This record gives sequence, C-alpha cells and structure tokens, in this order.
Amino acid sequence: MSSSSFGTVLESITRQRGVRASLIVSESDGLIIDANLRFGQDGDRIAALAASLYRKARLSAGAAWLGAVAFLQLDAERGRICVAGGRGDLIIVVVAEPAANVGLIRVELLKAVDQLE
Amino acid sequence: MIIASVEAWVEAPLARYVEEARARLALLLHPSGQVVAQAGFTRAVDVMTACALAAAVNATASELGRQLDGRAFHGLFHSGAEKQFYLASVAICDSTYICLTVFDGESSLGLVRMYFSDLCRELTAAAPQPVTRAPALGLDFERDLNKNLAALFGRA
Repeated sequence: MSSSSFGTVLESITRQRGVRASLIVSESDGLIIDANLRFGQDGDRIAALAASLYRKARLSAGAAWLGAVAFLQLDAERGRICVAGGRGDLIIVVVAEPAANVGLIRVELLKAVDQLE
Repeated sequence: MIIASVEAWVEAPLARYVEEARARLALLLHPSGQVVAQAGFTRAVDVMTACALAAAVNATASELGRQLDGRAFHGLFHSGAEKQFYLASVAICDSTYICLTVFDGESSLGLVRMYFSDLCRELTAAAPQPVTRAPALGLDFERDLNKNLAALFGRA
C-alpha cells in the first residue's frame, strides 16, 4: 500500500466527529508510518504508548486462549484511544474526544484495517 | 536491577528511565568512552567493553552524519534477533554524553525514544550548574599589576 493510500484510509477516519488524531503505527516498533494529527497532538508519544498497549492486549488475549484482538478501547477522563489491528504488524490508532461516537469510529476503524491487509 | 554511577545526580533519572522504558541495560558515558553511569551490567569488564564500543560506534555514526548531512546524526538503532539497542547523544549544559540502551521484546523503539527524551529533560534539570570562573585577566589587570609592582619595588 502506498503512503497516499494510507492517507486516504486516515482521512476517512479523521472525518468522523470528535476524532483528534488517527495514526498508522508499526506494532512492534511503536513508530508512526503515517498520521493525521490535529495541532497540539504528540504523535510519537501516542504511537509508542498505543502500540505498547495493543501488543500487551494481544499477548494477554493469546495467553488466555481468547484468540486475536480485533479492537481495543481505552476511555480516559479527557479522551479515548481506540486501536484496531489485523494480521500484519500495522495497527490503526484513533484519539477521540470523550463525547465522540465510538460505534461509528469502530466501524470505520475495522473497515480501514481491512483496507490495510 | 543494579544501577551505579560516578555522578550522583545521574542515578535517579537513569533508574526512572530504565524502569519506564523496560530497558535491559543502559549506559551513560562520555564520548571519550569514560563511563558515567550504568544499569543492568553485572561485570566491570562488560561495562568497559560496552563503553569502548559505544564510543567508537558513536564517533563513526557522528562522522558519517557530518559527511552526509553536514551535522552529526542524533540517534542510532540496531535490531538483533532478540535484543535491540538505541544509541543517542544527550546534551547537558555544556557537555555531551552518550546513552546506550539495550532492550528486548518487552519494550519497543518508540517507547525507548519517548522515554529517552524524558531522560534528557530530567538530566538537564538535575545537572549541577557549571561553575562560572572569573576571567584569567581581569578588567583591572593593568591597574592591579602597576599597584602590585609599585608596592613590591617601593615606587608607590
């Protein structure tokens, strides 16, 4: 997939109301492949922490014989982080407002993951 | 994890960095290869070897950066089968140090880089302020010299 295709995938997610940032990240390295960030978002920090969270969740689910992780959501006081990954090393990370519609974001994220594969 | 340092102010920031970044080994050294602090090493000979090699790699990478980009490269990353290392320079006050971080699958390059930038900030805040020395030749040097000569040779 070319970097412009990554941009198209990210744009469809960032269009959702309440989305502050969307990033395509390498799960193993925690480094950004492509990102669509609003002013003031620290992309490197989000990517590193979200990739670490997702990796830990994937390993935990595997250890508990629950199978692959499709979607991860972290709700915090001032925002939420949603992560979705497929079979490869790439994951998609979304940072959203607390009031954002997670259902819509989840649908877009899972569609985007399909496009990455 | 064993943490030892030559400079006491380095110890707390380094301990926090190793803990947060889930590093296996960390080494802070002068570009000359002289160790400042280490975390995770159990034998002195390993520290000395790692310091010498890290200093050499840093010198090579810095010179390569200057040749290619006009200035030294900031960081260097190598990945092995299980372990990886990140080598980067830290500018503290008017000195430059090198930090070698060895990590495995428990961490990632992104996390190490993120906490490394925190380490740089903490070391800068913890470092003792450089002592400002008076100039070797003071503004009143000539006047003082004449006064002293006069006093010594009785021409006051």
